[in-house]
Amino acid sequence: MVFVLTAICAGAALVLAYANKATQPAREYQLLKYVQGPSVKKVLKGYDNDPIKDVIEVSMGKDEKGQPINIKIFPGKKGGKMIGLAYSSSAQGYHGQIEVMVGVDMNGTITGISIMRHSETPGLGARVVEPAFTNQFAGMKLSGQLNLSARGGKIDGVSGASFSSQGVVSAVRKALQLFPKVKKEVS
Amino acid sequence: MAAVVREFTKGLWKEVPPFRLVLGLCPTLAVTTAAKNGIGMGLATTFVLVCSNLIISILRNAIPKKVRIAAFIVVIASFVVIVELMMQAYFYPLYKILGIFIPLIVVNCIILGRAEAFASKNSVLPSIADGLGMGLGFTMSLTLLGAIREILGNGTVFGIHIMWESFQPFGIMLKPPGAFICLGLILSIMNWISSRQRSH
Repeated sequence: MVFVLTAICAGAALVLAYANKATQPAREYQLLKYVQGPSVKKVLKGYDNDPIKDVIEVSMGKDEKGQPINIKIFPGKKGGKMIGLAYSSSAQGYHGQIEVMVGVDMNGTITGISIMRHSETPGLGARVVEPAFTNQFAGMKLSGQLNLSARGGKIDGVSGASFSSQGVVSAVRKALQLFPKVKKEVS
Repeated sequence: MAAVVREFTKGLWKEVPPFRLVLGLCPTLAVTTAAKNGIGMGLATTFVLVCSNLIISILRNAIPKKVRIAAFIVVIASFVVIVELMMQAYFYPLYKILGIFIPLIVVNCIILGRAEAFASKNSVLPSIADGLGMGLGFTMSLTLLGAIREILGNGTVFGIHIMWESFQPFGIMLKPPGAFICLGLILSIMNWISSRQRSH
């Protein structure tokens, strides 16, 4: 009894591991096309190139486990000159990670943000994707202002969803902290 | 061979799942707001049904009676994950629309029902025929229901406008009550046809 069930589970695990590996490139491509692509176009302003095609992959050192961290930078160019960068960043929300695409111009000022993935509570935390919340970030720099108003900043959180709102703010702050390094890598 | 054909065709009319067996109603009612969604959901379910029937009928003598449900669920769940990965990889917009109903194929009672009632007692070929027939019956039912709701609720079918210019769509057809009304009407029409066939 135990043996048969174990064998079936082991077989299933093998097949699933293979399926996961085999579909990975295609899944990443679809994610780029339907999730990251539209977000990039939303957060960059005044560019005339195709940021998805011009994507640059840069190495940002190693994480705690020694795995290399690679992030994708989507550059916005006008007349061949780089005017802005978009890259994703994530932070803990109320339920799991919130993934945010952040657009930054070359001075480190936010041009826009777009929430790509989250699993926040529908009707409460999930409202962080609404423009009323996300539009507040445009034009800000990494400063004390870039915080929830409850913490002395200028961002009004979504009411009833302070963890989710804080998650988005943390992700954006994290992205901006990376900005000087990212800028050096791409130029 | 005749038996295999019979197992296949019974799923298309005599035992068509959502209407005759009234099984698998959760996805039937929830995703059929458009014909395209019905086809997508139906084909995903068909794939899982055929593959799980195949594997379970191969293993039917090896699986001990006491743990058969657990074993069936492992097999079914694995195929559902494969479908989910494939949809993410090749049909992302459809995957976004069907959302939670793709993982929920695991608990679709048609699949466990066919595994328990058919595949665990029959050999490989009839089991595949049974799964294919039931799956295609399910797909056709969902597509029909989706098409009717899409035409009445939106004036389109497969996204193409077919109603006249001044047609006012019935918004209710895209909401849950519309699904129940449609399901009931189709069921009654099918019963009427069957009873006429019997009396002749």
